[in-house]
Order: sequence, then C-alpha cells, then structure tokens
Amino acid sequence: MPSVAELSQSLVNGVGIGLIYGLIAIGFSVIYNASGIVNFAQGVFVMLGGMFAHTLLTSYGIPIWLSAIISTVLVAAVGVLVQIFVINPMWRRNAPLFAIILATLAVQLLIEQVIILTLGDRPRTYPEFTAGGPLKIGTVAIPYQFFWVLGVGALLVFALTQFFNRTRMGRALRACAQNREAAALLGIPVERMLIVAFALSAGLGAVAGILITPTQYTAYLIGTPFGINGFIAAIIGGFGSPVAGLVGGVLLGVIQSEAIVFFGAGFRNIISLTVLLVVLMYFPKGLFGGLEKKA
Amino acid sequence: MALLKVQGLTKRFGGLAANNDISLEVPEGSLFAVIGPNGAGKTTFFNMISGFLSSTAGSIEFAGRDVTKVPQHEIAAMGLVRTFQLVQLFKGMSVAENVEVGCHLATKGGVLASLLRPSWFRKQEREVRERAHELLEFVGLDYHSDLDAELLPYGQQRLLEVARALASKPKLLLLDEPAAGLNTQETEGLAHIIQKINAQGTTVLLIEHDVALVTRIAHRIAVLDFGKKIAEGTPDEIKAHPEVIAAYLGVEEVENA
Amino acid sequence: MTSPVIISAKPPAGAAKFASRFDRFQVGLLVVAALLTCAALAYGGFLLTVMQLAMIYAIFCIGLNFFMGYTGQASFGQNAFACVGGYGSAILTVQYGWEPLPALLASMAVSGFFALIIGYPTLRLRGHYLAMATFSLGLITYDISIQWTSVTQGYMGYAGIPPMGIGNWTVESERWKLVTLAVLVAFGFWLSLRMRDSRFGRGLRAISGSENGAAALGVRVPRFKLIAFVIAALYASAAGSLFAYTIGFISPEVYGPAMSIMTFTMLFVGGVGTIVGPIIGAVVTSLLQEVVRGSGHYQDVAYAIVLLVTLIYAPKGISALGALFRRKKEEA
Repeated sequence: MPSVAELSQSLVNGVGIGLIYGLIAIGFSVIYNASGIVNFAQGVFVMLGGMFAHTLLTSYGIPIWLSAIISTVLVAAVGVLVQIFVINPMWRRNAPLFAIILATLAVQLLIEQVIILTLGDRPRTYPEFTAGGPLKIGTVAIPYQFFWVLGVGALLVFALTQFFNRTRMGRALRACAQNREAAALLGIPVERMLIVAFALSAGLGAVAGILITPTQYTAYLIGTPFGINGFIAAIIGGFGSPVAGLVGGVLLGVIQSEAIVFFGAGFRNIISLTVLLVVLMYFPKGLFGGLEKKA
Repeated sequence: MALLKVQGLTKRFGGLAANNDISLEVPEGSLFAVIGPNGAGKTTFFNMISGFLSSTAGSIEFAGRDVTKVPQHEIAAMGLVRTFQLVQLFKGMSVAENVEVGCHLATKGGVLASLLRPSWFRKQEREVRERAHELLEFVGLDYHSDLDAELLPYGQQRLLEVARALASKPKLLLLDEPAAGLNTQETEGLAHIIQKINAQGTTVLLIEHDVALVTRIAHRIAVLDFGKKIAEGTPDEIKAHPEVIAAYLGVEEVENA
Repeated sequence: MTSPVIISAKPPAGAAKFASRFDRFQVGLLVVAALLTCAALAYGGFLLTVMQLAMIYAIFCIGLNFFMGYTGQASFGQNAFACVGGYGSAILTVQYGWEPLPALLASMAVSGFFALIIGYPTLRLRGHYLAMATFSLGLITYDISIQWTSVTQGYMGYAGIPPMGIGNWTVESERWKLVTLAVLVAFGFWLSLRMRDSRFGRGLRAISGSENGAAALGVRVPRFKLIAFVIAALYASAAGSLFAYTIGFISPEVYGPAMSIMTFTMLFVGGVGTIVGPIIGAVVTSLLQEVVRGSGHYQDVAYAIVLLVTLIYAPKGISALGALFRRKKEEA
C-alpha cells in the first residue's frame, strides 16, 4: 500500500500534468466547437511548442520569455497553414468525417517526420523558468515550474472566458459553435472564424508544450500521447467551456498519476484508455454536460 | 381482424407530449391513413410503431403479439416494414441492389453461406435478382436498374424505397409521407401503386400530408392534431367531421372537399 | 404486372451504367498490377521486395475495405491485429517450432477473437469517439509490443522467422515468395468478392448507405458491423503473419501507428469502397518506395503528402477515375 506522502506527491504531479492536458483539451474544444472537426493533430502543436522554444533558446540564445512568445506565434501560424491548406478544402467539399480525421493524422505524421529530418529525433529539455526549488511542504516537493503551469493555465482560461463572452470575435466563434448555418446567414465569416480557431488552438497547444518541457522533455514523438490525453480530457470536460476543459484535464492527470502509484508507469496509456472508454460508455456528454452535437 | 392494434400510445419528450394517448386499429387488408398538420406527431407515431423510438406509455400489438418493447429488427422480421419521410437510399449501390437489400428478411444465409455458396444459396441469389427485377417493373423503374440509386430523380427515389420495402414481403407496409415533394403526375402514379400493393393483399398504413390523395385512396382515416387523435372514420366521414375541418382542413387548401 | 406510366423521361442514351461489379477501367488497373508483378519476377532486385510488400499490404487493405469501404465505419487501429498476427506467427514458429501455416491460422483465430471482444463494446461508439477508441487500440498494442519484453523481445524484435511453406516444401527464393503472395492475394480477393456479392455483403453496403434504412429492412446493424470488423481483423492478422514469413524479421515499428497511416494511404489512393481499390492502392503506393528511396523518414513524408493530396483532391481514389471519365464524356 503506497504511503500518504507518495499519494500526495503524485497528486501534485497529477495536477501539474493535468493542467497541461486541460490546455490541450481546450484547444480541441475550440476547433471542435467552431467546425465540428476533432483535430487529431492537436498533440503535434504541443511538440512543436517545446521544440521551437528549445531551438530558439539554445541555437539562437534568445531569452526564454521571448523564445516562448515567438514559438507560440510560430505554432499558431502552423495551425493556420493546416487550416488553409488541408482542412478548408475538405470542409468546403463536405468531406466525410473520417476522411478529415485521417487528414489530420497525416498532418501529424508529416510534421513529425519533418521535425526528425530538420531538428533530429533527440529528446530535448531546458531549465525551469525560475531557478531554484522545489518548494518543500513536508515530504511533498513542488517544483517552481508547477506554479508557472498553474498561473499561466489560470490566466489563459480567464482570458479565454473573457474572449468568448466579451469580444465580438469571441462571440462570433460561439455563434459558429451553436449553429454554423445561422452564423453564416448573420454575416459571420465562418471560414475566417475557423482560421482563428486553428490559430488559437495551436497557440494553446504550444503554450502547453513550452510549459511542460522543463519538467519532462520534448521530442518528435510526444505529440500522440499528449494529443490523446488532451482528447480524453476534452471528453471528460464535455467540449464545453474553457473551465470545463481545464477541470477535465486535472481530473485525468490526477487519476493517471495516482493510478501509476498503484500499477506502475508502464500502465500510463492503458489507464488513459480505460478512463476514455468508461467516460465514452457511461458519460457520452462528458461529466459536465456541454454541447451535444452529432459527432 | 386487426393486424395492428395501438392502445393509449404516448410519447413525451421532456414535458412535451408528442403523442398523447393514441389508440387505433388497422384491420388486415385495409388501406389505412393517418393524417394531420405538420407537427401533429405523425412521424413520432410511426417511429414508435416501427420500433425506432420507445414509447412512454401505451401498447402496440402486431399480428396478435405485443411488440411494444420488441427491438426494431425483430419487428421488421415479423413483417412490419417502413419507409422514411426523408428517403434513406443506399448510396453507392445500384437501383437493383437497393431492392435486393430489401429481400434481406425474406432470405437467409450469412458469411459462411456466401463463401461456400451451396446450391440453395445460389438459387436464392437468383430469386433475389428476379424478385428485384419484378418489383422494379412493378414501380416502373426496371430500365434504371443498373444506375447508381443516388442518380435517380427524387420522385423515383421514393418509388425505389417503396419497391425496396415490398421486397421484404411485409404484412404491414408503413409509408411515411410518400408523396412529399412529388408533383401532381408523380403523386397520381404513386397513388395507383399504393392501391395496387393493397389490392395484392398487403395491409398499408400511410402517413400523409396530402389530404386529397388520402381521402381518395384510403379505406379509413385517423386524424392527429397536437399529438392527439381527434377523429377516425371513412374518408366521407372525415371530410364532414367538424373538428377535422376546424383543425386541419380549415387551414389547408382542400382540392376535392 | 404492368407498370403505370409515371416516369415520362426515358433514360438518356448511353446513361452511366453504375459499376455494380467491375468496370473496364478497373479490370485494366488489375492487369497493370499483374504486369508489374511479372516485371518484378523478370527483373528481380529491389522491385521484388517492393511488390512482395505490396501484396502483403493488399491483403491488409482488402480486409480494411470491408470495414471502412463497404460498411462505412472507421477503424484507425487495425495495425493492432496485424501486430497480433505477426508476433503470434513469430513466437509460435521461432519459440515453439510450429509450422508456418498452422501458426498463421492460430494467430488469425486469436486476432478474430480479440476483434470480437474489443469490437463488441467499441463499435457502439460513433464518429470521433469510434475513431479515437480504435486509434488508441492500435497505440496500446504498439505499447505492449514494446513493453512486454518477455514475450515480444521489445525493440529487439524477432529474427530468424522461417519462410512460408507446408511440410518439407518451403518458399525460399524471393521470386517464389512473390508468386505465393500473389496467389494468396488472388485468393483473398476472390473470397472478398464472394462475401461482397451476397446477402451478407449487400447488408454491409446498405449500412454504409443508410443505417436507418438498413435497420428498417431487418439488417441487424450492430451484428453486421461487428462481423465486418472481425473480417478486417482476420485479413490484417494474415497480412501481419505473412510479413513475418516474407521478411523473416519483425519489430514493434513494423506494426506501429505508421502502418495505419500507410495502409490508409493505400486504401484511399486505390479507392475506398471500390472492389479493386485495395489491390491497386497497395501496388501504386508501394511503388513510392521505389521513387523515394532515401531513409524511412522521407518515405513517411511521401506517404503523408500523397495521402493528403488524395484526400483533398481525389477522395474517391484511382479506381473511381474510370467512372469520372465516363461522366465527363456524357456531359460533353
């Protein structure tokens, strides 16, 4: 039986990684709500965020805060390119759902291989944003990076909530989510909104990747596991509001890291999959309701 | 004898009653119609009878058996076969193949039979093709049989759906607004076909919006309004029924009234 | 029975006959594939390996086409069953000294059983959920093939897998391997045709056309989907085993997620839901390896790009081109 100390330590770890899953989940929801498409290449944005930031930091000596910003913008641009060159042509033609999913998977493979060919397949990491730490509370160690993740995550969710509720563009995106045809009739440029959604979503993924890289690492292949966990978090949260996505992520992160204490790290993916199947079978609308849509 | 007996059938979506306490009996061999304005709950009624939707209360009896909770495919296997208001053609299959799928219930054999092809199976496949051809001839689509079903004009897609349903040799054929979207000439042809199907011994239950068509061909008519049955009787009785005129005929343009 | 006159317009002369079986264009494509096989036999070399792999993937794709093409469902994790087939055959032959053929059949049985118990709950899902659940299935299997080292030997993989054969007769030469594989493809194709053109196959294709319509005519939709899933798994498993026997070496990478993408590329390039699509797609796409030699990474990039271009610009694949030409001619 694991000790209380072990369990509380893994609770902290779980919340940390869960916040990351939450950010990715919000990225999934932003695109899904605006277009009805689940972008299976979402995880690749996480990978790119870390890789770009690392390259800027180490190869060009740009300070981490600036590297992070540039990397986020670059990844958002990649998201826009994916939308314009892959998603939009298929979306216009009313391509079947599975073809679009497949296309996003192909995009993931393409980007991964291009990264291997250009930046290599070596895992990379860089120091935490704030040196020192970890903070010790009893036996539980909390790395400083945890507070960065928590702070940035909270800030982003707050900003997104404001964006969706207060700004014209945010409201237009929400209108697309509720009824695309009606939104188009109201004069909302739906395709441009999709570009915004992809940029936003890719940017969110990048931030997640930049934040997590110091505590783990980044490499070309981390996209898939992060993508899947983010998707599961989005399903738990129910593809609804940013807050729900973040809570879904934290729940998954905690379940996963507590379960690892009991079963061992090799079971990480199997645990995620089990959570996924349980949620899909018993809570098809997510734990917090959210938008019900024809999948 | 009643082939279909519906008692107190009710369906609520949340607080809203789409069907409220509907009872009716469809006699064997009859051509029975259910009419009502849009949103009267006709399709809900149909979906419950054919097992596509579960009922909130009430019972459905088909061919002497209670089918209220029976799964959809079993109801179909008992001989209660429906068509859809929005045509549900099998895209990517030819016109003939569409009707051949209709023979599903009237035939047997799965993967193993298809691989081994015993003589009974080959004979059956031949019969399926012949039957498909006959039925296409019956509805007048035989010279289109190799065409991709999707490429048929809308009116003919509806006829194809009727032929497909007939292929399963139903005891009771449920037609969901078969004349929707048809022009006068096509409606005329359809009416003729429905009457012929009925004359050959198949009981027909028809949901229709087109009152003129129904009063002309149906033996008996039930009228739904706001999810309730407000009248039932022969076409003449219905045409004279004050509540029906108020609720339905009054709003609709009636050509033959 | 006489028909009432309700349709005034007779069909236009030379109306597009729907290719309910083959059209001439598709037969032509098959002939080209056969000629390529002959060329490989004559010239040998690298083309021989390329065509061997093409045949193996063709078998995989014929099965996948049942589930994705005819039934209109999606599984992004069929590589899981190829993995079971490949490792099953490798372990049974190398560790336990089984004959290749019984090992292949036993692995198929195991795959079919897995497909049955996994498919039963999973196929209730729809759309994105089904896609993600099946995708995870492939990933989990890949993970297991790496982690469960006591059985799979992890990244090391299995080497020294014997070639196909029955009793004393084994297929040693590369040319005979290709011939055997081609015969097996033909056999698998023939079986698939028999299943397609029957009550069962029509039921499957009806589901892809309209689930409600099929259900109304008494097709037991969940059961049919499950059977199609199992059929796809059986073909995938056989392909996985054949890979092991042909190359003699397997590792987790062979059956990883990239395999899913590659086989999808083949199926979509050839034409999903068409009769000859799986074979044509497998052959054409495998030739890419001949064009893009370089490292495996460049090949993956090529696959991804070809898949994207196909999905965006030619979603019906090569096999449907014949119908397209005919339609164009009519319009002219």
